[in-house]
Amino acid sequence: MIPEQLRKSLEARVAHAFSAREAAVDVMKDLQFHYGWLTDEAVGEAAEILGLSRLQVEELATFYEMIYRRPVGNKMIHICDSISCWNAGYEKILDHLKARLGVEVGGTTADGQFTLVPCCCMGRCGDGPLISIGSTIYDHLTPELVDQALEIERLSGTAAPDHKGQA
Amino acid sequence: MPKLIIDNLPVEVAPGTTVLEAARSIGITIPHFCYHPALALASACRLCAVKMLDGPVKGIQMSCSLPAQDGMVVSTTDPEALKMRALVIEWLMMNHPHDCPVCDEGGECLLQDFTIAGGHSRRRYQGDKRTHRNQYLGEHVYHEMNRCIQCYRCVRFYQDYAGGTDFGVTGSAGRVYFGRFEDGPLESPFSGNLVDICPTGVFTDKTGRYRARYWDYQFSPSICQHCSVGCNLAPQAFQREVIKIVGRRNDQVNSWFICDRARFDKKGINDPSRPREPKVDGEATDYETALDALAARIYDFLEVHGPESLAFVGSSRLSLEGCLMLGELAANFEAAALSFYGDPAEAKGSQFATELLTEQNVAAPADLASADCIVLLSVDLMNEGPMLAPFIRKASLTGTKVYRVDAPALPSEQRLPFDCLDAATLAEVPLETASRAIVVCHAARTPHEELAPLAAKGVRLAVLQPGPNGFAAGLAARKHGAVPFAEVLAAKKVRGIVAFESDLSAANLKGVTVLGCADWRTSELAQKAGVFLPTTTWMESTGTSINFEGRAQRFERTFRPGLPLRGLDAKYYAQSRYGEPAPGQPEVPPPQPPRIPRGEIPGGQEIEAWKAMARLLEKLGGEPIVEPLTGSWRPLREMDPEAGGERIFGLFKSSEPDTL
Repeated sequence: MIPEQLRKSLEARVAHAFSAREAAVDVMKDLQFHYGWLTDEAVGEAAEILGLSRLQVEELATFYEMIYRRPVGNKMIHICDSISCWNAGYEKILDHLKARLGVEVGGTTADGQFTLVPCCCMGRCGDGPLISIGSTIYDHLTPELVDQALEIERLSGTAAPDHKGQA
Repeated sequence: MPKLIIDNLPVEVAPGTTVLEAARSIGITIPHFCYHPALALASACRLCAVKMLDGPVKGIQMSCSLPAQDGMVVSTTDPEALKMRALVIEWLMMNHPHDCPVCDEGGECLLQDFTIAGGHSRRRYQGDKRTHRNQYLGEHVYHEMNRCIQCYRCVRFYQDYAGGTDFGVTGSAGRVYFGRFEDGPLESPFSGNLVDICPTGVFTDKTGRYRARYWDYQFSPSICQHCSVGCNLAPQAFQREVIKIVGRRNDQVNSWFICDRARFDKKGINDPSRPREPKVDGEATDYETALDALAARIYDFLEVHGPESLAFVGSSRLSLEGCLMLGELAANFEAAALSFYGDPAEAKGSQFATELLTEQNVAAPADLASADCIVLLSVDLMNEGPMLAPFIRKASLTGTKVYRVDAPALPSEQRLPFDCLDAATLAEVPLETASRAIVVCHAARTPHEELAPLAAKGVRLAVLQPGPNGFAAGLAARKHGAVPFAEVLAAKKVRGIVAFESDLSAANLKGVTVLGCADWRTSELAQKAGVFLPTTTWMESTGTSINFEGRAQRFERTFRPGLPLRGLDAKYYAQSRYGEPAPGQPEVPPPQPPRIPRGEIPGGQEIEAWKAMARLLEKLGGEPIVEPLTGSWRPLREMDPEAGGERIFGLFKSSEPDTL
């Protein structure tokens, strides 16, 4: 169940949209911020607010890589595995991250702090290899810089989970 | 009009035609998966590559999405294009399982055809294949997602064409998945078309899985007999059993598709308890004896009660031939009554529609797609003419307003696949401002005084009939002066009836003898009948059917009637080399068909209803009839069942009943 106030604000967003689908991403992001991830219940609520079927919401939710249909940690680590970062040696960075966090791709650390997922390009192909943690992008990475980045994020970790704050 | 050259052949096509369609128009098939004439473009499969040798664009292009332009020189056989297509096939086959031998699509699979045509016969890729979990999609469609080649035909059909919302595409890139939000039956009443439209075996017909291969089937062009829309389809029969039913193209009537009732409702035809033997007073006999007995009983009856107490009863299930022949049969006894319908509203409505409709004021299903105002007038569309809905949806998506007037309440699980406005009366609908308005209504429910002025105003009409061949029954009723059976009963003169494929309830037949009954269904009427004559279903018959718009369409016999080989009673095996079952052993038929040649098919005595009528007429002293379509109807004899049918309005010199 979402608070009445959130429902009202989402309905207002949909009312302003040219079509329901146009507002779908905003609605899903707000619901994700509320629940921590886009739960089945949230998909149902999004469908109701948007006037779509649950499947039609699922179609959009599973298309976007920053909508999470499974529980995730406080902060998301996206690592670019596209061609430019591959050229720049992203695999070394990925191996390092997996070892440091003790998780496989798609996994969440035992303390629930980070979830590691691949992504496809952040639009800064000259600066690879790069990752994003929460809403911060770290570029020109080496294993040492990765450790520093994780340290910074860990320290600010208890604050509001900022990947959700994008909403 | 763009002129271009394809494989050295010059071709001129209408503006907007794609290169693929232009090639098709001169008989060159460019391989394709995602392209489908009824669906919007996707350009998803990359298989239709051609080489543009000269003209406004050059090099390798996707022919399905490239509009034909002046000066184009196209090669479909250029080595570069062939190489591209071969590589695309190999790439699409990378994740496709090698399960053709256990796939129900094998033998009728577009992917199989083009893989072979593309020369891909050795697997070079040695890695793991992408796999998916399948979903339960209900009792009709089986899901096998690993076979998917991401052509998007299914979702474009299901959501865009048919207006379903519970099936679609999720994920992206290599994780694209076609399915539902969770397991559960597909909700759209057109879901079965996924089976036809999938170029490979992701969706197969669960009701006919693993029964036979494509080359085993007996096929013929046929016409659906579930409602009066008259959709074109092709039953696939194997060993005297209908295994599957697939849609058949008719651009004016059903485009490429059929509804789920047409596709999956095979129970009546395959019903093991279908009456197969002629019977006299419940005793099985042969056809000749039964007909003799019926003729004798009719004579005896006439001696005692006179012709005015006899009624011949048919229904809109009869073919055109059956309707005409029943009229002849009744006309043989001047005072005898003739009925096609029980309910007076149905009888009068059906007949009125045949009088009112003309080539000018009638609307074909496909006309709905280009209408600028559509009214659903007291009609239960999803039951009485579901295949009209996709055409109405098409119009609705382009901005046409659809009004529902006096609409019957829809059951909660059913929805119309388009938006519509409710109006209390027809007067509230702004028909005057429309130039291509169409009113969809039901013959038995719409008052005649409302319809005639509409037609006079230039509004076109789609008057759905109470039964599949209602239009033919209406015409025959007009010609031979039929009366609704309720009125025949009310007059209290009738003492005996002879029924042919009639749906009369036996309950209100007190004091009326059922002298004879001919049908392929089991009914109370058949139980009460003195003489029972089994008839063939439309799939076992050749004949003509007239749909609600007066379009005569020919259907051809798919298979010879008789008991299906599967489940054949052990008695038919008794003479086989397996011999009698050992004493005390159950009569289990051996797994193989009988090896003894037989002259006739077990349970195969059924004949078409009109032939039963003709033979009865002959026994009653009439002339032998070999061809029921005579006079004005003669041109229909040579009709090509695959040419889309023809409207019957041109067949008659005037609309006077006796010229029909």
